[in-house]
Amino acid sequence: MTGLTNMIILDEGDNVAVALRDIAANEQARSASGPQLPAVERITQGHKIALRHIAEGEAIIRLGVPVGIATAPIERGHLVHVHNVRSQYLNNDEDHYE
Amino acid sequence: MNRGSSPKNTANMRGYLRADGRKGIRNFVVVAYLVECAHHVARQIAQPYQTAGAQLIGFPGCYPSDYAHRVMEAMCTHPNVGAVLLVSLGCEEFRRSALLEAVEASGRDAKLLVIQECGGTRTAIDEGRRWLEQTLAAAHAAPTVPISFGDLVIGTKCGGSDGLSGITINPAVGRAFDRLGDLGATLMFEETCELIGCEDHLAKRAVTPELGRELKEAVAKADRYYRDLGHGSFGGGNIKHGLSTLEEKSLGAYAKSGTRPLAGLIKPGTRPPHAGLYLMDTVNDGPVRYGIPNINDTQTITEMVASGCHMIIFTTGAGSVVGQAVAPVIKGVSNSRVYQRLADDIDVNGGTIADGVETVDDVAERILAEVVSLASRIPSKSESLGHQEFALNYKTYEPAGPACLPV
Repeated sequence: MTGLTNMIILDEGDNVAVALRDIAANEQARSASGPQLPAVERITQGHKIALRHIAEGEAIIRLGVPVGIATAPIERGHLVHVHNVRSQYLNNDEDHYE
Repeated sequence: MNRGSSPKNTANMRGYLRADGRKGIRNFVVVAYLVECAHHVARQIAQPYQTAGAQLIGFPGCYPSDYAHRVMEAMCTHPNVGAVLLVSLGCEEFRRSALLEAVEASGRDAKLLVIQECGGTRTAIDEGRRWLEQTLAAAHAAPTVPISFGDLVIGTKCGGSDGLSGITINPAVGRAFDRLGDLGATLMFEETCELIGCEDHLAKRAVTPELGRELKEAVAKADRYYRDLGHGSFGGGNIKHGLSTLEEKSLGAYAKSGTRPLAGLIKPGTRPPHAGLYLMDTVNDGPVRYGIPNINDTQTITEMVASGCHMIIFTTGAGSVVGQAVAPVIKGVSNSRVYQRLADDIDVNGGTIADGVETVDDVAERILAEVVSLASRIPSKSESLGHQEFALNYKTYEPAGPACLPV
């Protein structure tokens, strides 16, 4: 990983990458494996960024494994999180914290 | 590398030989209350000696519980425990005589204090402290013997996971687990509810197809149980730090188990019959009863200790400070932001992997060094800070089927 690397693509078939550090809106998101794209919105460390357009109902693929279903179309460079993803199993996204 | 030790530098690994052949890495004297009504007295007895090896544990319930009895007996006869003081109010339904007999039969020094019979709070505390002081002196003078990785039982657990847990600290634990397994250690991981989504992969790693089916059924049971309960093992802290679904959290949690074959499925209090990697089934059998199966991280850790773990490797994303009363805890964290804030509490920073300054193997090496250090009677950070968390409540389990522990 170089100093410029700020996201990781865990498997080459993934449609999301994970931010290794906070990525600001309009900042370039860069992976050590090569692909890069502009972050359309802020992607906080540990959060996911869409590497391509993801259609509503499509699986979110991380490390080659489906980890959720898109509940809305997600554009490339956008944050992929509970506002546009649901579980294939239990959903607890109404939990309160803080 | 912390404290300069490496897995090869095992010359100072020494422990305490018990009558059953197991070896402890500590020689604690446990003070155990058998109902909440005896908690204050037990705490007062132990409190002045809590930096000298007295560890407080207990069960709050007054109604009988086979599960709680099994866990308490496992704790009181744990290899890290050299002697036990049981503190009873007197009218609770805990089978205190059976527990006392089991502890004595294990070759340990034991004493039962019944508050209602010995004159109340003040006399119980005085009598308890007198016994504890003498017993601790003997515990400190006990001889030690060399120990090897083959003597060690090590558990791993994660909590407060974030989006980096599955990329940094958990894969590093998995790598350390592979190496510890190759060195002959007995290993376990837990939380079937945090493997939902990983069951097919898990089953393929089983040493027999029958065990594979049992592993899948254990995860399916967790899924059913939590659906009935209406609340899964996924919540606000996970979401805040980037995880979007239970199955995404599972994927990260699963990384802790490494890559070696699965030797068996065990329930809390059951000891692995031989070295290898085991999954602990942390969810009740039968219908939803007594509420959430694991009310917090400490209860799950306690269940692994009841199955014989000498130490626990506990990873978080959000940061935790806990230890455990009977087995020391090594804490790892997934990101440098939390490590910098909680450096006094956390033993291993896995955030260096995300920062690009260390590899997964480098962090695994540091985890191994911590294991060696704990087995060399050097305290972990939570241990130095006096942490001795313990949690136990009501649960129900049926005996495991024969396919769960293939010969």
